[in-house]
Amino acid sequence: MKTPKCIYQFSTIQILLLLGLSQSAISQPIPFYKTTVTSNADEIKADNGLTLRESIALINGELKLENLSSAERSQVTPASQASTIGFNLPSGQTQIALKSELPSITIPGTTIDGTTQPGYDATKSATQEINIAIPVVELIPAANVDVLRGLTIVSDRVTIRGLSIHGFSAAHKSTAMTPPADIFISHATPPPSIEKQKMPANFAPYYPDDIPPKNTIIENNWLGLSPIGKTDRPSAFGVSVFHGENTTIRRNRIEFHDGSAIITSVAVTNTDVSENIIVNNGLAGMPDAIRLEGNVDRSRIHGNLMCGNDGAGVYLFKPEGTVKISDNQIRYNGRRLRRAAIYLTGSGHEVTDNQISHQSGSGVVVGAYPQSDRNIITNNRFDALEGMSIDLNTQENTYAQAWQTGDGPNPKRKGSYRHLETGNAAIDSPEFTTDEFTNASVITGTAEPNSQIALYKVQSNPEDDRGPLSQPIGQATANGDGKFTTQLTGLVKGDRISATATDLTKGTSEPAINAAIGTWNDVKISRNPTAIPACTTPPNPPATVPPPILPVKLKAPTRIHFALDQDFISPVSATILNRIATVLNQYPGVSIELEGHTDPRANNDYNQALGMRRATNARNYLLRQGISASRMTLRSLGETKRIAKGDSKIDYARDRRVEIIYRDSDGFELTVEESDLQLE
Amino acid sequence: MVSVNSMQSPFWLGGLLVMSICGSSLPAVAQSTSTIIPNTATAEFNSPGKPPKSISSNTVKIPVQGGTAALEIIKIGDRASIEPGDAISYRLQIRNTGTATITDLSIKDTLPLGFKFLAKSPVGAIANAAGTPVTNPSPITATVSGSVVTFKYPELQPQQSLIIAYAALTSPDAVRGTGRNSAIAFGLSPSGPVNSNIASHRVLVQAGIVSDCGTLIGRVFEDRNFDGEQQPGEPGIPNAVVILEDGNRIMTDADGLYSLPFVLAGYHTGTLDLTSLPGYTIAPNLYRIDKNSTSRSVRLEPSGMARMNFAVTPTYREGVR
Repeated sequence: MKTPKCIYQFSTIQILLLLGLSQSAISQPIPFYKTTVTSNADEIKADNGLTLRESIALINGELKLENLSSAERSQVTPASQASTIGFNLPSGQTQIALKSELPSITIPGTTIDGTTQPGYDATKSATQEINIAIPVVELIPAANVDVLRGLTIVSDRVTIRGLSIHGFSAAHKSTAMTPPADIFISHATPPPSIEKQKMPANFAPYYPDDIPPKNTIIENNWLGLSPIGKTDRPSAFGVSVFHGENTTIRRNRIEFHDGSAIITSVAVTNTDVSENIIVNNGLAGMPDAIRLEGNVDRSRIHGNLMCGNDGAGVYLFKPEGTVKISDNQIRYNGRRLRRAAIYLTGSGHEVTDNQISHQSGSGVVVGAYPQSDRNIITNNRFDALEGMSIDLNTQENTYAQAWQTGDGPNPKRKGSYRHLETGNAAIDSPEFTTDEFTNASVITGTAEPNSQIALYKVQSNPEDDRGPLSQPIGQATANGDGKFTTQLTGLVKGDRISATATDLTKGTSEPAINAAIGTWNDVKISRNPTAIPACTTPPNPPATVPPPILPVKLKAPTRIHFALDQDFISPVSATILNRIATVLNQYPGVSIELEGHTDPRANNDYNQALGMRRATNARNYLLRQGISASRMTLRSLGETKRIAKGDSKIDYARDRRVEIIYRDSDGFELTVEESDLQLE
Repeated sequence: MVSVNSMQSPFWLGGLLVMSICGSSLPAVAQSTSTIIPNTATAEFNSPGKPPKSISSNTVKIPVQGGTAALEIIKIGDRASIEPGDAISYRLQIRNTGTATITDLSIKDTLPLGFKFLAKSPVGAIANAAGTPVTNPSPITATVSGSVVTFKYPELQPQQSLIIAYAALTSPDAVRGTGRNSAIAFGLSPSGPVNSNIASHRVLVQAGIVSDCGTLIGRVFEDRNFDGEQQPGEPGIPNAVVILEDGNRIMTDADGLYSLPFVLAGYHTGTLDLTSLPGYTIAPNLYRIDKNSTSRSVRLEPSGMARMNFAVTPTYREGVR
């Protein structure tokens, strides 16, 4: 008699348990809403206006609709498919100052759309190069508050559109504050949170259930700069795709970041970066405009303008997978650190149809380690490089410079081992049969058997003996013996040509040694007319472009001074820099080089770094005055070029300086100012 | 009392020294006080294939205060320098220089660090005043406690000498020790306990094929989950510079790894030179507070290995302190 009773009791509990479970499982799903932000305050409070923070909390389900005031509820309508946040901020109150980080966006399909703000004009652009509408709604950290991230995305199909997000950064504390960004994409509980990972995994950075968000779209935003194109507080990074797949970043202006404009980290496959304006980034941190790391398989970078950044345009640091880099304009980069415009490590990447110029390093470098081959580099145009157009690192050259600007022309391959220790499997560059072709009708040479030969016209840089590969002008195929013959058109006596070989199993070679059409005596040693070193141009530039005729005497200061062991700009030096900025604003064709110097005390390495900090700070001051980074190159000479000979306090004070060297500045009267000397 | 002036001996030079110190010939000590004793030492040598040879020293006259029982100990080793793995043989001579019998004689011999007493090695002999061996002596016992070897012998007559020879093996630890071995004898006499002098022998321990240096290894890598450990998918940083407290500058290889052999044992501090890796800073670590520093301190044991890893992450606001 006892047993059935027991069974009966047990089943009651079971039913109760089942009921409880089903109740939580069928619990009300978080409803979708369409909200309109009408207040630029940053608080959750039942009042007259709906704030962005309230909108995100409501959509995330962290805030209940009934907790809103009736005025706020009137801005919320239910939606069927996905949630949307629009804006209708009063005119003049379009700046949302965050007192702390916004909640992460946790509901898939959410859209934050700044283009809904009245006054947004999708047809008006501030730049001619790529049309990106000027945003109206501005997201910034509140005054005197450090906020690490602007928007944090942890769910699928999130879209961020038409916002200006800038100023998100934080002072390092006892531990570094990281990873920051204007827009941060990651799995839920992104670092530095460790609540998920109580103990670190020993097999992979993250567990399989740390699922990266997919199909994020970041478009038509201005990151790092306000709607008037400035910022007082540089953001740390632009878009940090820390852990996110199928991310699309298109038509954004990304400027003035301390670190990279776009940086990836863990599993970031199929990232598409297109038609962005990426200017003046890497000012005090990771210097590269786009830095790809982690698993970046099938990512594409196309149609972007990268200009005036402090390091490389695109740097692939030991990534997994293959990347296509095409149709980008990469110019005036490597301002602070000499780096290649595109640095590749890994295999199977494609670099095609890019225009790469004015780089303080090589054009495209393929690293020797880890083994990198099958990288196809074709149909690009190079100009005004401080290195080779294509540089394959060889003989396992992994010294610091090889990781930045490459290692120079390779010797011809000897033995098979060289395949393993050289980028692109040590494919040899083609060799022309002669260095002087009588005419362009028969161009002959040798190359790797059965490889594709791309012939290029060489312009400018008369001192380079390999390239630059200025303009693709023809194709040829090497036969089984490695011989090729082709006919070129459109060349005249005095033109120079070069070539690359491409073998799909190895990759593309370095440029061939140049050959001349006619004789070398016919080659005219002339430089291209100096282009105006600007990254972007405003639409409808003032019709009266200042004539390039300079006044006979225009006073331009050449020196600013610093206090002992200091790198900050003193108020007096600032006035001198203001005058330099005035001169530079007046003459947009003039570019400058900033050389940092120190007095001879302390050791060489320390002084080298101190000189660099001084030059960087002077440059950053000028940047804030609106001078384009593309016009300023940084160098440090440390204590190697003292100006004074003695060792008195005044001598040392004169040594502690940044010298400004003007390029294309005939007619300037250069003056030396010493009003800002700072004695110790 | 025994002078060994045999340094010129060809056997020594030949390296085949088999030396025995016989009892020195001493005249019987008179009971009276303040006697002048002429003293001569004789050393006797055996070498293979040649008859035994002995040399007598000059005679030294020593005034002796007459007493009861007294102990005297001498210790010598068969070599002046040694390497780990070698054996050394020691020879102790304990002599009752008094006039009364000493009972419960015990000899305490303290071996230096890394010297191991070989239990089967000790041999002993008793010689009487004239230097002739005593037949049927009592057995000598040896006990080992740590590095202290204690020999015990029941009774030592006046003017008798007890000679003990034994061997010890050196281990690699010996290089850290002093190589100095000391021995003392004590016993009981009718007038009370009696101690000897302390005899010591020092041998120079050379490192030989073993070394007391260790190896420092480490890596500099990009930490993506901020745990301070390198997992797959966290690449090493090439050409990062680690500077040690003594100024040694280490650069990582293309994989971000480094190793530094022949580092002296002890505590070492290394710091990551952040100016060598522009764009990076030390990664924050919420698991272990010490990993947030740019410095690492390690303890390196002889022949040991210690690790200094540095986790870094892309940064901003560089150079702002």
